[in-house]
Amino acid sequence: MQYKNHRNRSCSRALMLFSLIMYSLILASLPAVVQANTVSVHEDETTGLLTWTVDDEGFRIELIQLLPDFVRAIYAKHDFPPAEVERAAGYCVFGTILKNTSDGIMSYRVADWRYRTADGEEYPVKTKTQWLDEWKKAGITFSWTLLPDQGDFEVGDWQQGFTTVKLPRETEFDLIYRWQLDGKPYEGVLENLKCAPESIELGE
Amino acid sequence: MKQRLRYCLYGLCSLLLMANASADWQQPELSYNLTRISKTVEAPDFELMNMDDETVRLRELRGKVVLVNFWATWCPPCIREMPSMERLHQKVDAADFKVLAINQMEDVDQVFAFTGQLAVDPTFDILFDSDSSVSQAYAVRGLPTTFLIDKQGKIRYRAIGGRIFDHEEVVAIINKLIEE
Repeated sequence: MQYKNHRNRSCSRALMLFSLIMYSLILASLPAVVQANTVSVHEDETTGLLTWTVDDEGFRIELIQLLPDFVRAIYAKHDFPPAEVERAAGYCVFGTILKNTSDGIMSYRVADWRYRTADGEEYPVKTKTQWLDEWKKAGITFSWTLLPDQGDFEVGDWQQGFTTVKLPRETEFDLIYRWQLDGKPYEGVLENLKCAPESIELGE
Repeated sequence: MKQRLRYCLYGLCSLLLMANASADWQQPELSYNLTRISKTVEAPDFELMNMDDETVRLRELRGKVVLVNFWATWCPPCIREMPSMERLHQKVDAADFKVLAINQMEDVDQVFAFTGQLAVDPTFDILFDSDSSVSQAYAVRGLPTTFLIDKQGKIRYRAIGGRIFDHEEVVAIINKLIEE
């Protein structure tokens, strides 16, 4: 009986230890959610277009509202068929700059990013590969301007390109972005981003 | 045709507006860090035409340190780093060093019009990778991306994003590679 009790206690301890280890492993694998408390929003005096800049753990993201006409101009310049020009301009497009601000290696994958609409629904951000697959079907070989799907940035590295979400003009949404710093996952949320308007009227 | 003209007008207006907007827009500072490649690999060879319709072959540059820069005229950081690339080109002896700026999917007319607007006309070689096959061989994901190739044709350093190429630390790296 004493032996049985001792064995039960040992089993309980082993179970507790196992649970603790598993719990620690699960915690370690979860991304550290970083409060994006260093968001700055800049409104251009002339155009009224907005730019959001967030400095997180080793990661800086800057999102710049782009007018549909700007998107049209870029792709028309590269001889896209008019239907494809309009399709791209129909998206909510942001000029995006990502920078490694750490002394280590910062990695990201656009496939890990989500946007959240006012109803709380989350959707994946369209990747460059998805765009290129569609462009290829339309006979387009141009493969630049979009934010690369992924990156492993060393010290001082940064990159820029377009980020696209399928939302109507002037829609507000949240962007959930994820990155890794020396292999450790992080997550940030940029709230109340707003798609650019169809056009702007310049004042007197 | 009308639609194309309309796009061009859109483009002109938009680019003017964006240029205006970007005056205040905080672009990241250009850094000067080059990442040393821990496992050096042979730089993929290429043959590309330059602005003067001459063929430039990488393998014929063995014995020189070569800075290979992938860029395009529509890419803001590419434009920002170009003056420093020209200063670097002037600073380091041409007998030991070569700058190759490989344009992506644009033509001579577009690049010629672009370089005409620069304060200093680039005197280094601008090459044309019209189907981006060379950038693919170098696994370039975004522009600008730059590689520093040693005298034996091995990739030794890499930089993703704009840089100040005539910074003393970059020049020191190039001189060290020349001395090897």
